[in-house]
Amino acid sequence: MMQPQRPDPGHVSFRLVMGLLAALAILLLVLPSFVVIVVSFTSSYSLRFPPPGYSMRWYAALGDAWQLQFAAWNSFSVALWTTGLSVLLGVAAALAIARSTSLKAKVLDSLFMSPLVLPALAFGLSVLMLFSLAGVPISPLTLIIGHVIVCVPYVIRTTVAALAQLDTVLLESSASLGASRWYSFRRVTLPLIRPGILAGAFLAFMSSFDNVPVSLFLRDARTDMLPIRMWQDLEGKLDVTIAAASGVIIALTVTALIIMERTSGLSRRIR
Amino acid sequence: MLDRRQMMMTALTLGALHAFPGISRAQARRLVFATFTGSWEEAHRDVLVPAYRKMTNNADIALDPMLSVDQIAKVTAARANPPIDVMLHDPGPALVAIGQDLVEPYPVAQSAYYKDLISDAQVETGPAPFFQVVGITYNPDKIKTPPTSWKDIWDPKYKGRVGITNLNSTLGTGWLVEIARMHGGSEKDVSAGFKALEDLKPNLGAVAANPGQLATLYQQGQIDIGPGNFNAIQILKARGVPVEFVAPKEGAIAFKTTIHIVKNTPNKELAFKLIEAALSPEVQGKLMESPYLIVPTNTKVKMGGEVAKALAKDHADMKKKFVFQDWVEINKQRSAWIEKFNREIKI
Amino acid sequence: MATAFPPVTRYELKLAAPLAGFYLVFFVGPLVLLTIVSFYTDTKMTAFGLTQYARFLLDPFSLAVLASTLWLGLKVTLLCLLLGYPLAFVITRSPNWLQGLLIIVVILPLLTSVVVRTFAWIVILGRQGIVNSTLMALGLADTPLRLLYTESGVVVALAQVQMPLMVLPLITAISRIDPNLQDASSALGAGAWRTFFRVTLPLSLPGIVAGSLLTFAAAITAFITQSLVGGGQMLFMPMYLYQQASTLNNWPFAAAIAIIFLIAVLGCVTIFNQLGRLSRGYAQV
Repeated sequence: MMQPQRPDPGHVSFRLVMGLLAALAILLLVLPSFVVIVVSFTSSYSLRFPPPGYSMRWYAALGDAWQLQFAAWNSFSVALWTTGLSVLLGVAAALAIARSTSLKAKVLDSLFMSPLVLPALAFGLSVLMLFSLAGVPISPLTLIIGHVIVCVPYVIRTTVAALAQLDTVLLESSASLGASRWYSFRRVTLPLIRPGILAGAFLAFMSSFDNVPVSLFLRDARTDMLPIRMWQDLEGKLDVTIAAASGVIIALTVTALIIMERTSGLSRRIR
Repeated sequence: MLDRRQMMMTALTLGALHAFPGISRAQARRLVFATFTGSWEEAHRDVLVPAYRKMTNNADIALDPMLSVDQIAKVTAARANPPIDVMLHDPGPALVAIGQDLVEPYPVAQSAYYKDLISDAQVETGPAPFFQVVGITYNPDKIKTPPTSWKDIWDPKYKGRVGITNLNSTLGTGWLVEIARMHGGSEKDVSAGFKALEDLKPNLGAVAANPGQLATLYQQGQIDIGPGNFNAIQILKARGVPVEFVAPKEGAIAFKTTIHIVKNTPNKELAFKLIEAALSPEVQGKLMESPYLIVPTNTKVKMGGEVAKALAKDHADMKKKFVFQDWVEINKQRSAWIEKFNREIKI
Repeated sequence: MATAFPPVTRYELKLAAPLAGFYLVFFVGPLVLLTIVSFYTDTKMTAFGLTQYARFLLDPFSLAVLASTLWLGLKVTLLCLLLGYPLAFVITRSPNWLQGLLIIVVILPLLTSVVVRTFAWIVILGRQGIVNSTLMALGLADTPLRLLYTESGVVVALAQVQMPLMVLPLITAISRIDPNLQDASSALGAGAWRTFFRVTLPLSLPGIVAGSLLTFAAAITAFITQSLVGGGQMLFMPMYLYQQASTLNNWPFAAAIAIIFLIAVLGCVTIFNQLGRLSRGYAQV
């Protein structure tokens, strides 16, 4: 039988402190996006908050911002190719190393994940050196190669997690019913791990689109990347058009996030 | 039988192939023009690029704004296949670029406008499309009596409100030399200038990465006074940001900026057309008017309006009123100064 | 009968060969090249020697840059821990519908471009920004404070940018704690605070270590935020590396900086991993 609990004054203070700090954390997380969106509707040339007036002019100005559009298109297509390549190479690698206890698999796992921990800036410089000393000119291809290295770990991580949750009974029964390995993969494994692959692909895409350290070294004005372009614009002038571009990026990200959450339960896979 | 999924995959693949930058479109290589940050980029984007597009039947162009020293770094890193086709240089870096054989001599014979330039602007390694002037910029709303001398910047009442750039820009280095000169130094010895910067530390509110960024600090109200580039603030002024330029009594610093075709660029024709556009009286005339107020070099453009009022009536007048520095001498020690500045000057 | 079929749940290691080859050429290769280049004594890359490393390790300026970068990472990690732990705790205690929403709020910054997030901080911390406007409106300050281009500004901006990396592992760790343990603790008479410090916190230690590792590593390499919020004169390792490599074209020195940076990060990762190993043993009940 449980004793009746003594009234605990600490209980209230505990909840208060935790709640307050958590609220502060939420405020901190949300404030920047909120500020950017509000400022993007300003009618004036300055970044004052609160804005002196409201207007859609900066979003309209995006229509003329051919440099930003060029950079955005480049970032988008590089991210697309990076994601495709990452999924092809990453899923194959994940299949090989998931649930394996051999030393080789463990070593490969550490190798494949290491770009996530090492400073990407150092890696970006080293790739630039490699291409430069080998005489390979800067091009979208070199950018994609650099991006794949830093993005494929996301695909591997979520795919391995999805494979780990796969019930082997399903595969064993498929095999015992006479299915070939390839057929079992295509009809049983793949559909089951597809949400995991999609989550990884989504993360890889966003990671490539937003990438700064690798793009910083591997890009030039002909293969301009959006984050670098925006950073340079911010360093050289205070164009409120950047706020409008940011507003668009935030809106697209939120939409993509909600879609991914509904279709693949992204929040569960990202931990 | 094609099912829906296969059709979608085919469509996606075709779409992705099209999206691969450069693979399915055989377009001419985009011209890359390395211009200066801030107002320069806006002026060139709004006036020079449309003129260029008209001249070249809408050829593609990319503006890559960066400091002269950065342009040199990028081109020397990849000489055989330069990432930049047309460079813009202040006197110091121009000497370096020419010395390191990074520029293509300008095809003077084919130029329609070269002969119309003032004699100082006629340089075969790269003509000068404009002059720049450096003086004191300040916020007239906060500072009611306009400053008159460089020394005013050290006034204790401006504590924390002074903004300068680092020495990577001509603005920063030129100003340092002037400060040194004010205290008895010269292009050969700027130690007095560094000492004066030490004394300035309590007043320093920001050290900007380039003149474009320095101008934005006025826009945000982050600084109220400091050395500044005449053109960098003009567009902001036109937009209602409270910022003014005044020439100090010691003499404002003036220098010419030259534009160059990069050696080994595959886009020589387009580069030539861009520079022609920059030298043409139409473009220079437009850039001279509000809100750009860029000093022209083509004699067919009479210096008038705001430029004549604020700076000088004509080029001869400019030569008399303003200080022109010895960049050959400055270049000898510039990297050492840059390193010293980066180590010692912190806000 | 079990040996009649090849194992269906294991795939051949050969499937990882394409990626392994790709990594060898484009990841390991460049890093090896980086190391080699760092041993050149001059920018023309003619002779070998330890000049570049001596130049960094014997120079108080460079060492100060390294130290201030690591110190920055530590401060950011602590701030993230202080705010992120309560957030993770509250999320695990929330009803399901709220949990999903809160996790999306946490993930969103992670997926938004870092330039966008940092740009927001310029607006927030500037002289005309929210913080100063609020302080002046409340009468707490007569003139706007300088918040931009200060180290505290960089710490707060980085803490926001990296907070999701701290919160997500913490959510996993805290939700794994057996609720029975907390019930047992309060049944035995311990107050909320005591239960927290004696039961919850120690059991979530692996999550704390994992989150701290990710936050620290991300904070010290955060090039954009450090340079936009800190300004040009506040030099940290990423910008130092970039300046030497790009503006000064001094590849050997830049390579040395990169290698030293890599070793420093690896060292910190190893320390964190050791702490993780110890904490896992401690956390096992």
